[in-house]
Amino acid sequence: MSKKEITITIDGVECKTYEGEYVLNAARANGIFIPAICYLTRCSPTLACRICLVEADGKRVYACNAKAKDGMNIITENEEILEERRAIMEVYDVNHPLQCGVCDQHGECELQNYTLELEVDSQHFAIQDTKRETKNWSTVLHYDAGLCIVCERCVTVCKDMIGDSAIKTGPRGGPAVDKGYKESTPKDAYAMWNKLQKSIIIPSNGTEHTNCSDCGECTAVCPVGALTERDFVYKANPWELKNIPATCAHCSSGCHLYYETRFESIDNPKEVIFRVKNEWNYQSLCGAGRFGYDYENSDVTKDTEAFNKAVEALKKADTIRFNSTITNEEALMLQTLKEKLGIKLYNPEARAFQKFLNEYAKVSGKSLYPDDFKTIMQESDFVISLGSKLRNDNPNARYVFNNVQKMNKGAGIYFHPVGDTLVPTFGKSVETFEHKVGDEEAALYLILDLFADKSKLPSDVVDYLSSFHEERTKKIKEKVMEEVTEIVVDKESGKEKEVTKKVPKMVTKEVTYDHNLLVERLGGDAVNFEDTFAKMNKKKSNYALMVGEDLYFHPNYKNIIALIALVEQSCGMKLAMIPPKSNSLGVSLICDLDDECSGYVVGYNENGDFRLSALGDGDLDMPALNQQEGTMTTMNKRVVPTNAALEYGGYELNDLMNALGFGKRYTIDWTASLPVEKGFQAVCFDDLKDGFLNDGSEVRGYELTSISQDRVDFDVAKIDDNTLIEGEIAYRCNPQRQFNDFTNKAHQIFEAFALYASPARAKELGERVEVVFENGSLTLDVVEDDRMSGDIVEIPDFRSAEDVISLFGDRRYAKVTIKKV
Amino acid sequence: MDGYIIGTIIKAILVLAIISALAGFGTYLERKVLAFMQRRLGPMHVGPYGLLQLAADGIKLFTKEDFIPSGANRLIFMIAPIITAATAFIALAAVPLLPEFELFGVTVRPIVADLNIGILFVLGMMAAGLYGPLLAGMAQKNKWGLLGAARTAIQFLSYEVVTGLSILAPIMIVGSLSLIDFNNYQSEGIGSWLIWQQPVAFILFLIAGYAETNRTPFDLLEHEAEIVAGYATEYSGMRWGMFFIGEYANMITIGFLASIVFLGGFNSWGFIPGGLAIILKVSFFFFLMLWVRASWPHIRPDQLMWLCWKVLMPLAVINVTLTGLWMMV
Amino acid sequence: MSLEEFKNRNVGEQNYRLVDVGQTPQTGMEKFEQVVKRAVKLELFTGLKVTFREMFKALFGGQMHTTKYPFEKLPIAPRYRAIHEMKRLLESGHYRCIGCGLCEKICIANCIRMDTRYDENQRKEVSEYTINFGRCIFCGYCAEVCPELAIVHGGRYETASEQRASYSTFEDMLTPLDQLAQQSEFPGFGAVSDDADKKIKKTPLAY
Repeated sequence: MSKKEITITIDGVECKTYEGEYVLNAARANGIFIPAICYLTRCSPTLACRICLVEADGKRVYACNAKAKDGMNIITENEEILEERRAIMEVYDVNHPLQCGVCDQHGECELQNYTLELEVDSQHFAIQDTKRETKNWSTVLHYDAGLCIVCERCVTVCKDMIGDSAIKTGPRGGPAVDKGYKESTPKDAYAMWNKLQKSIIIPSNGTEHTNCSDCGECTAVCPVGALTERDFVYKANPWELKNIPATCAHCSSGCHLYYETRFESIDNPKEVIFRVKNEWNYQSLCGAGRFGYDYENSDVTKDTEAFNKAVEALKKADTIRFNSTITNEEALMLQTLKEKLGIKLYNPEARAFQKFLNEYAKVSGKSLYPDDFKTIMQESDFVISLGSKLRNDNPNARYVFNNVQKMNKGAGIYFHPVGDTLVPTFGKSVETFEHKVGDEEAALYLILDLFADKSKLPSDVVDYLSSFHEERTKKIKEKVMEEVTEIVVDKESGKEKEVTKKVPKMVTKEVTYDHNLLVERLGGDAVNFEDTFAKMNKKKSNYALMVGEDLYFHPNYKNIIALIALVEQSCGMKLAMIPPKSNSLGVSLICDLDDECSGYVVGYNENGDFRLSALGDGDLDMPALNQQEGTMTTMNKRVVPTNAALEYGGYELNDLMNALGFGKRYTIDWTASLPVEKGFQAVCFDDLKDGFLNDGSEVRGYELTSISQDRVDFDVAKIDDNTLIEGEIAYRCNPQRQFNDFTNKAHQIFEAFALYASPARAKELGERVEVVFENGSLTLDVVEDDRMSGDIVEIPDFRSAEDVISLFGDRRYAKVTIKKV
Repeated sequence: MDGYIIGTIIKAILVLAIISALAGFGTYLERKVLAFMQRRLGPMHVGPYGLLQLAADGIKLFTKEDFIPSGANRLIFMIAPIITAATAFIALAAVPLLPEFELFGVTVRPIVADLNIGILFVLGMMAAGLYGPLLAGMAQKNKWGLLGAARTAIQFLSYEVVTGLSILAPIMIVGSLSLIDFNNYQSEGIGSWLIWQQPVAFILFLIAGYAETNRTPFDLLEHEAEIVAGYATEYSGMRWGMFFIGEYANMITIGFLASIVFLGGFNSWGFIPGGLAIILKVSFFFFLMLWVRASWPHIRPDQLMWLCWKVLMPLAVINVTLTGLWMMV
Repeated sequence: MSLEEFKNRNVGEQNYRLVDVGQTPQTGMEKFEQVVKRAVKLELFTGLKVTFREMFKALFGGQMHTTKYPFEKLPIAPRYRAIHEMKRLLESGHYRCIGCGLCEKICIANCIRMDTRYDENQRKEVSEYTINFGRCIFCGYCAEVCPELAIVHGGRYETASEQRASYSTFEDMLTPLDQLAQQSEFPGFGAVSDDADKKIKKTPLAY
């Protein structure tokens, strides 16, 4: 989508914007204020509040859904508009409780702000109030309907961004607005009031509780105090909280968020995190980010004895075993240890990704994948996900997939062996393939078949692809209009008349079609796929492929990369990869990882003979990521800063480095030394910016530079059936909102370390099972995940102590035996 | 001879004890009088009508920490208050406090040492007292103390001149330096008091006496509005208390001097016996000092000097000259 | 006094008269003349007279002004701002504080802290409230900002304590339940003005 730059005039100011951009966004990007309550930047306009009313070329339009045209002249305020806006605010204030003091939004409430901004000083409207109940929608969501102004921001964000569509507007049951107001009320205010008076927000599944991923984004966008996190209700006022910008440490999205801290209580003056906020116009969080904040390693003091032991342990260590939930600076320190002391670095998840990236660099000539998820979200209209359990692996990738369907009128294909009932609900044009485990090569061949410019493909591949096509016939039912002539007797006159009517008739017809064996192989409906795909691909021009962790752990990953490179070359597709864990991208760029773990092992948040741990259970305490300064590398290939929200009294990795003689004064002094040859920049930590600009552009940190290198010619192999696994299969996958030990520590994240299965499978398995792997076994409770389908069970790896990754070995799928216990 | 020594020691101890007690009691009186003049009650809580306030203050002064500032000259800092107190009491040695009386058949002369140069000795001792504040101020390494010391030097030395010259005229008339002789000279009743012959000398002596004892309106040495506490800034506890006792002892001495030299001393006054008369007179002078303190403001140091050298000193000289001329005629 | 007069702060133009103090003496002679004049006119003794008269009046005229404080106490003004009190609702006896935190926010000495929580009745409950009287400057802002007239100033002004920090808890400040009948409204800072009804516009209600 190449956007045409145009100029519009807003209040006499010339503003540059793009063709088709909403006027409201154009104004915001140019620093002009137009009030708006219901609009969310990256979602579709709701048109609930109507307060963004402006005059465009003399006509009244709503800024949030009027698209900018070249030379448009916008007036944001005149007497009439102001009167309308004031009336709207008055209507919002009708029956809104006046006990602002007890409300959690008190002080950052948009209703308060706009009421004051628009100088509402008296009330002209009244209507009988309706009793509206306060409800707890889930373990984390609290809805006080009495405060709700039904702006529907929560509904919009849940549908357009999150994809759960877990809430909707429902009937309020109050009296209708008195018709007498029609004369005295401005038009939009009256219309808005009528709608407001009829509705309230309810869970969309018809029960009292929402069935969603508990991301809490609805609480973030709520302009009033209606939707709040249950844990935060009535606990603190916003102005008491200290706002610390940081980066979420749980998955590779590296979302920008604010930790809000305050003293815990009068009895306990210790600073703790009370909640997490985000820039919801530009960045959506998941449940782990929003609720998994209290994972700090608290009450740590400098234990000199343990410290000395740690120094000794590092001196004699053969291997350091760690995971990707660390900062770039720590990764660099570990790499320094490897260089100076020859200690092996073992991190299986990052190692797989590193090998994958290295292989990709060989065949594509680029050290990094070319695109990021943000551009995909903004530009793509056809997105394909391969090798990633979108719902669990990376919430932001899932939001991207969903947002493309909703906002860009897009289509999507989702390849994954584990069935998911949520993904198909993202849009009408979403096709899911529940393929066999290990059959990702076939999926890539299908992508080549569907999207590739055949002239760019090697001839053997073209031949191979055409071998999957067969001409077959199928029976279709067609509606045919048949002319029927009847003789009808006119009742009044008694005359007979001949009437000719057209009557629809279903006719079964046999037609030939192109039967795609790849579709069939991947578990799709090969018979109708041709038509379905034609519909999906209509008016699409911007394709994107996101690939995930399954591929990094695929035994034939080299061939997969070759295929991906081929797809990139021949299909004109955007390509982005989902790093497996928080900072896997950073770790795989910075550290020179090893394949094996042997000898005396020092574990950093992992098992080992000597454990450094930020979880408070190790031999030496380390700061958790909300107690550290540093940088993280996100899946959008940005190096972003994070700040310490809470105090930490113990030793850091840098102190250990200092004791060994390789340290720097502060941890953040390492930031400027991150390897430039891998794409980092030699920028000091304190020079890194943080945050978003008004037009939504991200100014956090800097973007990694993709280093070009010589390409190696490659061939693609045919589909290898040996990689397929059949039988009883377990999939290494965390439940939603759980990513690592830290999310597990958070008190608002309840997802258990258990075996997750589709409802049908869970029923079969019973309550508790023993899962036997080749090299070990686990005994787990069975938890039903009603958004799963199929027989594959999911086993989480978020508890590093259980060492699930080792049980699975170098694949994400394992053949297991499940026994009831 | 032995009796004389023992008697003198007893007298010295008595004077020391009684006058220090009176000095302490003086603080109580001062507070009470000042309070009454401001329509307040003054000390009320310790003992009946606050009478035991004196004891409370004493306990406080004795039990307070005696500290010496780190930069101070320790020895001089410690000695200075003793100089003030000692000179004040030594001066009293040559002052006849009461008329002679008989006790257990022994004639007691209530004077520690009847020197024939009594008045010179008293004035000399009081002049020596200036070393107390001067050394205290210089030893404590405090700028307020130093300013206090400087003021001590100019004020005491200047007013020494006025005291001396003003009292010279009565000395010329009486022809003796012994205070007993002064007393005896005025034994003929009120008419023979020297004040009638030397009113100017009396006034000059009184003014100079206020300056010498560092009393309002001339209490510039420790003028709290300007130099915190002057020479006493760094002092606390009993050392500060010694300055205090010295000042009150000096007040009493000045009262005695003025009474003996100008107001007929301890001669009986009509039906009032001599002993009571002098006590009344001294009490009046003491009260006058408090009264003045309650009524009048401080003066500036430059006004003080101006007053001394351009008004009081010339007046005193003229007074002496006129007295001399009058005596010659 | 009308408001106009109250607002006129130009005090110099009111009932004051200038006293002729004469010229400041310049030369030594003039100064001497001034001293002589003042000495002869016995101006100094006027001062002595005044103080003696006051003493006489105090001792014998019964005009002693001292209040023997711990034993005698003067009445204080009803708007006096001393130690805070937490009022209760007269009907239910429930505390008035809703835990809005405005007092905490406005407190310029930063001495107020409160803990609130979500209680069983889905209401905001104040679980603890403290004021550090060691820091409080008794400015009265908390009482002024309180929307519920819950925190007000009482008349207890004896605030000496053994430590710098001296905390009062919610319990300490709340009107004891058995003394609810004696609870009176505070007329000072934050109280409703007498003409409050006239000043507000009524919001229409449909019931």
